[in-house]
Amino acid sequence: MSNYKIHTATELWQKETCLPSIPTFSQNLDHILGNGGVQLGSLTEVLGLPGTGKTQLCLQLCASVQIPKVLSGLNAEALYIDTNTNFTPTRFKEILTASLLKCQKIEPSYLFNEEEALDRLHYINAFGIEKFCACMNRISVFVAEHPRVKLIVIDSITFPFKEGISVQKRTGLLFRQMADLQRIAMEGLVAVVLVNEMSTRLGLSGGAVVGSLGDAWAHRCNKRLLLSNPSELGGSRLALLLKSNNAPNLVAKFQITREGIRDS
Amino acid sequence: MRCVLIKMQKLTHVEGTALTDHVIKMLFQSRIITILDFLQEDVEKLSNICKLSIPQILEARNRILTKFSAPVINGSCFIDKIRKGTISIKSGVKNLDNMLNRGIPAKTITELCGIAGSGKTQLALQIAINCAKETHKTVLYIDTKGDFSALRIQKILEKCQYSFKEVAAIMSRIHISYIWTMEELVNLFKNLKNGELVIDNLVLLVIDSLPSLMFQYLGEDNKLGLSLLNSFVNYSRFICKQLNIGIICINMQTRWVDQDLTDVEDEENSTAYKDSFTEKRYRCLGRYWQHIPTLVLELEKIKENDNENNSGIKITVLHSIDSDYENRHCILCVGESGVT
Repeated sequence: MSNYKIHTATELWQKETCLPSIPTFSQNLDHILGNGGVQLGSLTEVLGLPGTGKTQLCLQLCASVQIPKVLSGLNAEALYIDTNTNFTPTRFKEILTASLLKCQKIEPSYLFNEEEALDRLHYINAFGIEKFCACMNRISVFVAEHPRVKLIVIDSITFPFKEGISVQKRTGLLFRQMADLQRIAMEGLVAVVLVNEMSTRLGLSGGAVVGSLGDAWAHRCNKRLLLSNPSELGGSRLALLLKSNNAPNLVAKFQITREGIRDS
Repeated sequence: MRCVLIKMQKLTHVEGTALTDHVIKMLFQSRIITILDFLQEDVEKLSNICKLSIPQILEARNRILTKFSAPVINGSCFIDKIRKGTISIKSGVKNLDNMLNRGIPAKTITELCGIAGSGKTQLALQIAINCAKETHKTVLYIDTKGDFSALRIQKILEKCQYSFKEVAAIMSRIHISYIWTMEELVNLFKNLKNGELVIDNLVLLVIDSLPSLMFQYLGEDNKLGLSLLNSFVNYSRFICKQLNIGIICINMQTRWVDQDLTDVEDEENSTAYKDSFTEKRYRCLGRYWQHIPTLVLELEKIKENDNENNSGIKITVLHSIDSDYENRHCILCVGESGVT
């Protein structure tokens, strides 16, 4: 049963530094995330109030994962697990086409077929806790069958757990799923992005509006990105890296255009 | 699972008794293999098998019992032993070492706790770096939530102006293992105890973090998690004494808010209520764990120092076997060059 491996930090450093990242198409955002985007093998949580651009960011990442090899992209596929009907195919098509056209502009020899590009997104709608758990159980098989999937998005992680489960059971279940997911992410070198909602906890020190799922969950995630759209900035939005194991807590400004996520 | 955990020792030759190799061979043939088998078997039957007299068998049993029972030690020897044995591992973080007099105590379990994002991992990484740097010994970092960042370590060392060669040498002394379940953790510790897993010059073991594993058992009616935690604690205590190493466990705190509706005495409006909230912080892992670590350090993030992305951590001693240390505190600074 000795299935653990012991690595030295030098080995891990070599591995970490040559792992590619999925760019967000906003240099500011890429900069604060610390690795030039969402790094493969990592787990990132995106937080924010409704309408702050969480789903938009996920759609952009699903498009970015397709950047061709000539532009040192991943040329890979994405898996989108939708638990709350957040995904809109027309909007995704818009962002995907815009992103790939941008690639073509930089590298004219790159040709793409819109339909083929759309085929490279795998979509699962997992409504309700039973479907969600079943889907999480199958993820390892799915990733093994689809080795080109390099990004898994769960939008949102909170929604399946809204009702029908006690808080203790929820935490236990989530921690088990996270351990499995992280093992898959690290072994298969897949990036995982989780969308979380915000909730209100009255009387809490350090602000009453916090991410859902409690303090235990906050401890489990090692990269947390908070999005907001303050009205005084007009159309621009802000992203704050709330927590990270290797980058300082910085703020970045970005905007959401018709083409997707861009610098503002 | 249980049977695997209780180590069964094979019967061997016991000096000064009639249990010679020849007799043991006869016992093995009669399927009396472990010490436990020998102690549990009927005396007369044993006498027949070994062709020894009953007093000889009883004598052998007594010898075994004395040999394997807990030893008696007198008070002055014990104090001497403790005084000689107490060593600390320098954490290399000046304020922390000053607060704890010398450093992280060896041979016991130390806990770092704090709410999410309070800098537990950063401090643990720093202690790992400093240990590998100062003592030229090995640190084993057990990562249960993918928090370990070799890049961060390299950047800290680079900022402290170490040459590439030195950085590589320090980093080669930090060993990492990814563990995802409690069973895997207990198994690793078992192998460390049995000597199946040998790490040369080990001085410190960091577990980041225990709740990530233990919370997987939340909400289940069986006490599987608790029994695994218990095995983990027993193995850790054995290992840290045997190998003379320090063990740092990272625990988290959760905040719970109690809402008290207090009557506000107001003459004009007698039905006015005032909400007041009291926030409480609890260390996780349940009541069993609360008194296991001999030293508990609480980390708290304090107001950000605006310059150069630095922020501060306040460390308080929540619990210590030496009550002098309790409630002592110190302030550390986290920045690009690590925790100082």
